[in-house]
Amino acid sequence: MPTTTASAVCTTVGNNILLRLTSGERDVKLKALRELKNQIIGNRTKKLSFLKLGAVPAVAGILSDAVSAVDVADNDENDRIVKDIIVQSAAVLGSFACGFEAGVRAVLDAGADILIQRGCLVEEMPLLKSYMEVVDAGARSLKMIYQSKMAPKYDFLQEENMEFLLSLLNNESENVSGLGASIISHSCKTSLEQKLLFDAGVLKRLTSLLGGSLIQRDASLESIATIFKNNPEVVSQFVGPDTGRTLSCIIEIVKDRFARTRLLASLCLIVIRNASPCYLQDVGIKTKLINNLLELLDDPGRVGDEASFAFSSLIAEKEDMQKLAFEVNGVDKLYNHLQKGSLHPRRFEGILLALADMCSKLECCRSRCLSLQVLKLVVDALAHDSSDVRSAACMCLRSVSRSIKFIQNLSAGSFMNETIVIPLVRLLDDTSTAVQVAALGAISNIVVDFTTRRSTFIRLGGVKLLVQLSKSMDSTIRLNALRALRNLIFLAEDKCKEEIFMELTASLLASLICDPEPSVQEQALALVRNLVDGRINSVEYIFAEDGIILDAVGRQLRIASKAEIEIQGMYVLGNVATGKESHKEAVMDQLLLRAENKAQSCIIKFLQSNDSRLRTAAVWAVLNLTCSSSPGSSGRLVKLHDAGIVSHVKNMVNDPCLDVKLRVKTALEQFNSFDDSLASTSCLQFLTVRAVGELSHVVDPSSKIPCDSISNSCYVYVTDFCVIYSHVANSINSQCL
Amino acid sequence: MSLFWIVIRQLAEIEAMAMSKKVITREEWEKKLNDVKIRKEDMNKLVMNFLVTEGYVDAAEKFRMESGTEPDIDLATITDRMAVKKAVQCGNVEDAIEKVNDLNPEILDTNPQLFFHLQQQRLIELIRNGKVEEALEFAQEELAPRGEENQSFLEELERTVALLAFEDVSNCPVGDLLDISQRLKTASEVNAAILTSQSHEKDPKLPSLLKMLLWAQNQLDEKAAYPRINDLATATLEDPAI
Repeated sequence: MPTTTASAVCTTVGNNILLRLTSGERDVKLKALRELKNQIIGNRTKKLSFLKLGAVPAVAGILSDAVSAVDVADNDENDRIVKDIIVQSAAVLGSFACGFEAGVRAVLDAGADILIQRGCLVEEMPLLKSYMEVVDAGARSLKMIYQSKMAPKYDFLQEENMEFLLSLLNNESENVSGLGASIISHSCKTSLEQKLLFDAGVLKRLTSLLGGSLIQRDASLESIATIFKNNPEVVSQFVGPDTGRTLSCIIEIVKDRFARTRLLASLCLIVIRNASPCYLQDVGIKTKLINNLLELLDDPGRVGDEASFAFSSLIAEKEDMQKLAFEVNGVDKLYNHLQKGSLHPRRFEGILLALADMCSKLECCRSRCLSLQVLKLVVDALAHDSSDVRSAACMCLRSVSRSIKFIQNLSAGSFMNETIVIPLVRLLDDTSTAVQVAALGAISNIVVDFTTRRSTFIRLGGVKLLVQLSKSMDSTIRLNALRALRNLIFLAEDKCKEEIFMELTASLLASLICDPEPSVQEQALALVRNLVDGRINSVEYIFAEDGIILDAVGRQLRIASKAEIEIQGMYVLGNVATGKESHKEAVMDQLLLRAENKAQSCIIKFLQSNDSRLRTAAVWAVLNLTCSSSPGSSGRLVKLHDAGIVSHVKNMVNDPCLDVKLRVKTALEQFNSFDDSLASTSCLQFLTVRAVGELSHVVDPSSKIPCDSISNSCYVYVTDFCVIYSHVANSINSQCL
Repeated sequence: MSLFWIVIRQLAEIEAMAMSKKVITREEWEKKLNDVKIRKEDMNKLVMNFLVTEGYVDAAEKFRMESGTEPDIDLATITDRMAVKKAVQCGNVEDAIEKVNDLNPEILDTNPQLFFHLQQQRLIELIRNGKVEEALEFAQEELAPRGEENQSFLEELERTVALLAFEDVSNCPVGDLLDISQRLKTASEVNAAILTSQSHEKDPKLPSLLKMLLWAQNQLDEKAAYPRINDLATATLEDPAI
C-alpha cells in the first residue's frame, strides 16, 4: 500500500540520518545535521516523523557538546567545524520550533532554549566577526521559540535578565534585536513588567528600530504595543519631547507598503488610544485608522483575518468611532466580505464580531444590516463547525436584534421567527459554554415581543431549556438564562406566565433569589418583579408554596448590600402591594420584620440611599401600601408611622431627583388625605400605581430615561429597542402640579 | 532614458492646461523637454537598483566602480541569491533548497506556498527526466502531505500529478508545466522571497517608472495631441497626427 511504502522510506532515511548523527566524526555529524535540516524545513509531516524518532534530544545533545568544545579565543580549522555544527544544530532546533506545537514542546523539554542562549548569545561572541553566523543562528532559533505560546516566561524582574534583554535590543544584528523585541512581545504581561521595561528605557531603542529594516520595524511595533497595552499610567508617562516624534513616526508607518506592517502600526495606535484618552483623538487620525483597517480586510492572508479583530478593538463601546465607520460605509464593506463565502473560520469570526460591535449602539448600523439581508448569513453561521464562529454569530444577532425594525419584522411574520429562533434554541444545548452564553444573550433580546407571540419559542421547548440552564453549575449561564426568562415573562399573557411558572416552580425561584452569586440574585428578583406585574392575580404567584418566594425576597432585602438587588427587591414588594388587602399586609409584615441587630426596617436604609433609583423604588412601595382607595391603608399608615418610615418620607420632600420628588409629593398627599376628609374619590380611583416590570437591557441597563412629560406621570423607559410604560393616574397630576 | 524623466515632468505641467484637445508641435515639445533638469545621481541609482534587484552582480560591481554609485544592498548577498535563482533555472531544485536554507532557514519554514512550488518543480524535473518511479514516490512522500496540510494546494497538486498519467507529456493538457517558463516563474518567486526577507523591495523601480510614463501619456491623450513615445525600447518621439 502506498502510504506504508512512503512512511517506510521515510523511516529508513530518518534512521540513517539519526545514526550518522551519533557518529564520532565531526564531518559526518555535520553532514547529517545539514541533511536533517533540509529534510524538515517547511515540511510539517517530516518534522513529526523525526520528532517521533527522537531527533530533538539527539540534536540538543550535539549542540551541548559542540558548545563546550568551542574555545572562543581559538580560530583554527577545527573550530570552524565546531562552529558550523553549532549553527546547523541551532537551525534544526529552530525549525522544529517553527509554528509546530509538538516541536516547541520537544525543544523546550530538551532544554534547548537555554542551551542556545548560552551557546550562541554569550557576550564575547559578537565581538568576533567570525561568530556572527553563530549569533544570528542562535537568535533566529530563539525567536522561533519565543513566537510560540508555550515559550517560557521571561522573568523581567531579575536584573541580569533585564541586562541581557537590553544587550539584545542594542545589538546591531536585526535577528538579535528582533529576538529582544520578540521576548518583550511574548512575555510582558503585567503592568509591573510594562513599567519596568518603560523605566529601563527600552522605548528609545524600539523607536529607533522603527526606522530600521522590515523585520526590525514589525518586531518593534509589536513590542511597543505590548508595553502600552491597557496601561494608562505608562502611556501618560510617555510625555516628553520624544513622544510627538514616535507617534508621528508610527502614524507614517500606517501607510507602509507592507500589509502586515500597516496592521501592526494600526494596532499600536489603537492600543495607545484605548489606554489614554488624550492621544490620537482628532477626526483625521480616527478616519485614517478606520479606513486603513477596512482596506486591510482585502488582504487574503492572515493579515486580513486579523484586521477585523483590530477593527473591533478600535470601535468597541465607542459610539463616535462606530458613527465614523458607518459614514465610510463600514457596514457595507464588512457585508461584502461576509458574502464571499467559504471564509476561513478566524476571518468569519472576526467579521461577525466587527458587525456586532458596529451595531451595538447605533440604529443606523442595525437598520443597514437588516436592509442588506445580513441576517441570512448570520443565521447560517449559527450552525458553523467552529464554536468561535457560532458564538460570534450569536453576538451579532444580539446586537442587530436591538433594532426596532427587527422587532417589527419579527412580529410581522412567523417565518422570520422560525428561521432565527430554531437554530438559537438548538444552541442552548451546545457543547461549548461560551456558545450557550452567547445564545442566551441573543435569545434575551428576541423573546421581547409586544404582540405576545412568544409562542414559537415556547413551542420549541425553549422554556424548558432555559429553566434547565438556570440550574447550571456555571454562574454565567445561570445569569444569562434568567435574563432571558425575565424578558420572556415581561408583559406576557396570563397563560404564558402560568406555563413558565409551572416549569420554574416556586422552590427554584426561591433558591435562585438566594443564589451565591449576587448578579444571579438580581436577575431572579427582576424575574419575580415581571412575574407579579400585570393583573392582580399575577401577584398570587409570589404566595405559592406557603409564600417561600416572598420570604426569600424579604430575606434578601434585609441582608443584601448591592443596590441593584435592593432595587429589584423593592419593586417586587411594590408590585405585590398593588394587590388585595392580604397582599398588602404580607408586604407590611416583610417590611416591618427587622434584620438581626438592626434597629430599623431595611426600607429606611433604602430611603436614605445615595442611589436615586433605590429611593424611587422604596417610595413606590410606600405609595402603594398607603393608597387611599384601600380600606386597610389608614391602619398601615399608622404602622409605618410608628416604624419611623413616614417621617423619613416627609424629609424627602426636596429630593434632588425628580422621580423621587414626584413620588414623595404624591405620598404626602396620600398621607394628608387620611387627615382631611376625602376630597373627590373619582380621581383617587387610579391611585394604585404599579412599578411595572422591567426589561433587561442586555448590555447597559442604565439607558432608562424618564420621559419628559412627567406631567403625564408616564414613565417611558426607553431601551434602544423597546418601550416599557407604566400606567399612572392622570388625576394625580392635576392635583400635584 | 533621460527622456522618460523629462516627459513625465512635462506631463505634470501640461495637466494644468486647457480642456480642449490642444496640438503641441514637435518643436514646442522638444523645447520644453530641454528645460527639464534631471540629476545624474538619480539615474545612476535607478540603474544600480535595477542591476541589484535582478541580480546582475558583475555588472553591478563594474557599474559601482565606474560611476561611484553605492548599491543599496550588500553585493555579497546578491551572489548567494543569484546562486539560488540559477539553480532553479537549471532545474537543480534540491540544490536551490539547500542554498536557501543556508542563506536563511526561516524563509521556507514561513512560506508554505513557496515551499510547495519548489517541491512541485522538483517533481516536474523528475518527470522531465523520465524517472517515473522516483517521481511517484516523491509525489506520495513529499507533495501529498503538502496538500493535506493546506487545502489550497490541492488543485495545483492535482494538475502536477496529472503529468504522470500521460505518456506523451509534452503534448498533454498540463504540458505547460514542463515549459522553461515554469522554471523561471518558480525562480522569480524564490528571488522575491529572499529579497523580502532581506527587507529589500522585490521589484526594481525602473518598470514602475515606465508604467507611469505610459499611464501619463494615456491621460494626456485625452487632452492633447503631442509627440508620443510609442516604442519604449527606442524611446523615439513620434509626431502627433494633425
